[in-house]
Amino acid sequence: MKRRNTYPIELMINGEWKRTEVIAQETLLHILREKLGRTEVKEGCGKGDCGTCTVLLNGKAVNACLTLAIQAHRQSLVTLKGIGTLEKPHPLQESFVKHGAIQCGFCTSGMIVAAKALLDSNPHPTRQEIREAISGNLCRCTGYKKIVDAIEMAAEKLR
Amino acid sequence: MAELRIIGKLIPRQDALEKAMGLIQYAADFSMPGMLYGKVLRSPYASARIISIDTSAAERLPGVRTVLTARDVPQNESVTRFGQTHAVGGGFEGLYRVLADKKVHYMGEPIALVAGETEAISETALDLIRVKYEPLPGVFDPIESMKPDAPQVEEGRSNVITHFKVRKGEVEKGFFEAEVIIENTYRVPFVDHAYLEPESGLAWIDENGVITIRVSTQVIEHFRGVADVLGLPHNQVRVIGTYVGGGFGGKEDITVEGFLALLTYKTGRPVKLTYTREESILCHSKRHPYIMIYKTGARRDGRLTAMEAKLVSDAGAYVFLSPWVLLYSMVDAAGPYRIPHVRVDGYTVLTNNIFTSANRGFGAPQVCFAYESQIDELAKRLGIDPLKIRNINFLEKGESLASGQVLEHHVALKETTKKAFHALGEKTVPQGNVKTGQGIASGMTSYGRMIFLHDTSRSHISIEMDGSVTIRAGIQDIGGGQASSLCQIVAEVLGVPLKDIKIYIADTALTPHAGTTTATRQLYMSGNATLMAAQEIRKTLLRKAGEMMRTDPQRLDLVDREVIDTEGSEKSLSLTEVVKACASDGLPLYNVALFKAPFRDLTQYERIEGTVFPDFTFGSHAVEVAVDVETGKVQVLKLISCYDVGKAINPLSVEGQLEGGAIYGMGYALTEEVIVEKGEVKTPSLSEYLLPTSMDVPEVQTILIESGDGVGPFGAKGVGEPSVCSVAPAISNAVYDAIGVRIYDLPLTPEKIVKALKAKKGKIKID
Amino acid sequence: MEYFAPATLSEALSLLKKWTGKARIVAGCTNTIPDMRSKAVKAEALIDVSHLRNLSFIKEEKKRIRIGALTTISGLTFSRTINKYVPILSEAARQFGNPLVRNRATIGGNLADASPAADTAVPLLVLEATVVTDREREKNRQIPIDRLFVGPNKTILKSDEMIKEVTFSKPDLGEKCAYAKLGLRNAMAISLVSVAVLLQIEGGECKKARIGLGAVAPKPIRAYRTEDMLIGEKITESLMRDCCQSVEREISPISDVRASAEYRRSMVSLLLRRLIQQIVSEGNR
Repeated sequence: MKRRNTYPIELMINGEWKRTEVIAQETLLHILREKLGRTEVKEGCGKGDCGTCTVLLNGKAVNACLTLAIQAHRQSLVTLKGIGTLEKPHPLQESFVKHGAIQCGFCTSGMIVAAKALLDSNPHPTRQEIREAISGNLCRCTGYKKIVDAIEMAAEKLR
Repeated sequence: MAELRIIGKLIPRQDALEKAMGLIQYAADFSMPGMLYGKVLRSPYASARIISIDTSAAERLPGVRTVLTARDVPQNESVTRFGQTHAVGGGFEGLYRVLADKKVHYMGEPIALVAGETEAISETALDLIRVKYEPLPGVFDPIESMKPDAPQVEEGRSNVITHFKVRKGEVEKGFFEAEVIIENTYRVPFVDHAYLEPESGLAWIDENGVITIRVSTQVIEHFRGVADVLGLPHNQVRVIGTYVGGGFGGKEDITVEGFLALLTYKTGRPVKLTYTREESILCHSKRHPYIMIYKTGARRDGRLTAMEAKLVSDAGAYVFLSPWVLLYSMVDAAGPYRIPHVRVDGYTVLTNNIFTSANRGFGAPQVCFAYESQIDELAKRLGIDPLKIRNINFLEKGESLASGQVLEHHVALKETTKKAFHALGEKTVPQGNVKTGQGIASGMTSYGRMIFLHDTSRSHISIEMDGSVTIRAGIQDIGGGQASSLCQIVAEVLGVPLKDIKIYIADTALTPHAGTTTATRQLYMSGNATLMAAQEIRKTLLRKAGEMMRTDPQRLDLVDREVIDTEGSEKSLSLTEVVKACASDGLPLYNVALFKAPFRDLTQYERIEGTVFPDFTFGSHAVEVAVDVETGKVQVLKLISCYDVGKAINPLSVEGQLEGGAIYGMGYALTEEVIVEKGEVKTPSLSEYLLPTSMDVPEVQTILIESGDGVGPFGAKGVGEPSVCSVAPAISNAVYDAIGVRIYDLPLTPEKIVKALKAKKGKIKID
Repeated sequence: MEYFAPATLSEALSLLKKWTGKARIVAGCTNTIPDMRSKAVKAEALIDVSHLRNLSFIKEEKKRIRIGALTTISGLTFSRTINKYVPILSEAARQFGNPLVRNRATIGGNLADASPAADTAVPLLVLEATVVTDREREKNRQIPIDRLFVGPNKTILKSDEMIKEVTFSKPDLGEKCAYAKLGLRNAMAISLVSVAVLLQIEGGECKKARIGLGAVAPKPIRAYRTEDMLIGEKITESLMRDCCQSVEREISPISDVRASAEYRRSMVSLLLRRLIQQIVSEGNR
């Protein structure tokens, strides 16, 4: 069997540097889940149709499944767990919980990350702007209403 | 008990916080050292003979630990069970085959299993398995499949799985009395559950030799079926259910469990198997497509006189839940209306398409589309207001459905229809090519399983020495707050704050069996079981406290970890003191309760008569749409959902179900269709199978009515499935209002609307 | 598979030459990864050009606008220059995929992928953009955009050639543009049909007409014959009817799971009519 080319990479995840080895065609989603223990980043479709794998790459919300792992070399990544923790929850996380925006929870990780990216660049979004910002994140349970409510309320709280 | 303190309050759910923090692990998030990766080889043909399977090259691939085919399965064929412990017989239980043996019956049918050291190795191994097929003719349309010369889908049995009948009065007489008769044929498509979490599980053999399967499922009690497949005693298979990333009925049948059990059994190592999204769409169950031929007769004053319907559903290649879904449709086919003469014939038929089974609503949304379109068309034909014609015909408490079940609980339809409609307000002014329209629809959906399944649920509650509480219940949590609603009930009854309650769920070895999370039954069944168990413990505690406080226990209440005297005296005791006293006296500080739904038995399987369900949830949807008459594109501007929920245990959760159900139904109405051509799924990913995005949805408004007359705890009714029922016809009726043409098949794509408008103008004929 | 991340354009070009026919250029990967998933990619090497930061730019010059190939679709939506001078391009960008994909997908990648429904291609066709490419032995080749696409997912580019820039003249004051895309939902929707129109109307007469169409032929196209019908004419109802009939004959849409050919055909003429009317009525204000 042909020897595979592997490439060592290092990337900052939620403020910490991590190292691993990847092959050229491996996706960022794959290494996050399989090699770096970041299972809060979900796989729903593997090809950018659902948004459950949303992460912040250098501050921009992207699908981890559509990014090559090697392209994250020396880049900075933020996942849901980098946005807030039990000890120090982010207003978005608190707001999602408070407003019933979480049912099965599978879309939640990507949804909160996409919402964070929105609020970072637009602290006063209208409901329509919120909808547009999460239009790459599917939810099958909530019908989106309480998610939009939660993001709107979190934006207010952050101001 | 006085005023409710926790039930009925807008309380954030237990599991929500952990999900927001990314702490809940879903099935695919688990790993074990030494884990192998399972993969499934699936048939590329819809109908074919398997001439030979050569697994040798795959087995030789370094890193492959096992390759299995049908001959390696101890019991490859058995009967499908759906978590119930009471066998029903009569064709309700169909053939369950783990791996295809001499023939394949649908495209995607599993043929072989592989376990390898890495996912990549397992995938490569699949490509090395050489299968020789001889393609055979197949049948892909259920009506064709009913014909005597149709190819047999499964050897030795008719393609027609079941023929059910509902008979009331004499329809000929009823149509004779009718002054107007409406006849139409309705069609609804294959639809996918499209939960965001693809099927996944991890299995291993534990230190006791028990095959343990951690899996995303709505039914952990498939452990019995898996044990039968392996030829093992039931207590040698354990299923642990994870928090499910969406079920909707798609994780109700066995999905990965059997494969995982076989692979771990044969290799002795942990094995993980996760479906890709394409695999999930191609190979797991779909909602039944139906062809529904309806004939409805009414007098000029709007009173219905007769209804005749023929329902044909496409069961796909295996029986699974098809007869059950059809039965639900039979009971619901006439709608919640008073009709003196009714004849319904329902058929569910095998084809070489992807198999169909449970999907949120389970046969109710399909017929609701038909009966709510029929009555809307009648209203137009007679010049009667759509609310009025419904009110004239709505059944009331104490009356019976056409199939004979008496509606023993409150029927809120007049209120839900009225409230939903009035919340619509003034119709948005149309502009240019965009016409606006408003429509309503009402429906009924059962909650609780069919009563001849002899459904039961169990819940175990124990109170610790410090007053904290542990609940153990087999309940599966699929995102509807199943687990947290039990915590709320316990918090209310035992006066213990939610933060002091922990719940362990979904473990066949360690939690009492609670039955399936399906049929909108968990709040009713496990809620009641939990209520019973909590009340027993409460009785014990208050009796003891009464002794200690020298007060009549009837005066005492449990509030905030204290026993208080509700009739004013200053006496009180801490919960901990009472618990310790009970422990010292050897009194039970736990209770496991079994709740039984009413039981009945079927004496025959052809004619549907009498009571089938414990109760129904009634509700209505009101919709306003904007239709661009040139492109055919429909935008939903307003969507109102009004339901009698009995009692909202957690209003935030209930609203969530209604909002989510409304959009689930909107997708069914407008954009969702699994297109299957000659057995091949043409919409393999979420780029082709279109779910509503945040940009497609209106601001859904929910109105809750609480009649208190449900059979669940505190008078609650179930809403998970009912919330979908009448959305599609409400939208279709609104479209009719906007453009003056009715579409009889879902989804209402822009192209269909343009075609229908052209036909109306007489330019082209619809074929 | 090998991976290279060249630091300079010349490094990228020499790698491309070395791996001719066996390499795939990648940047945003929003097409590459799904293609790899469906086994449509047979490359032995990936040449990642996303580090060539100097290929990500939007430059306004006196008469032209130049967009670097690595400019993301998001970049197009937010650019003041694009919104000011060629809003049809920012509009097409805004309706592209979804915000997550827009943050990674690039204009160069969108054009090189050459989908018949390529969202940026349609506005660029009516802007008569030029695609500028480099290969090791030929720099700054100028390819008019209507010659770039050869067929579904096929361009005229040689196997060692790379798009580095897209450029077009700023529309004159009198040149008015409009764009519309039809999809089955309001986000993450592949175009059923997309249309862009540029008209210059003076004294009631149409001096210039360009019509770009997407998703209705094996590649994004211009409707030249229909354009000719408009030039030198007053835009009347009767002319519009003729144009609508003509445009339907210039296309060859397919039927697929999203829509039938017949529907696509009638939607093209509908959108054309609407866009022409939109431009005319805006001009009358």
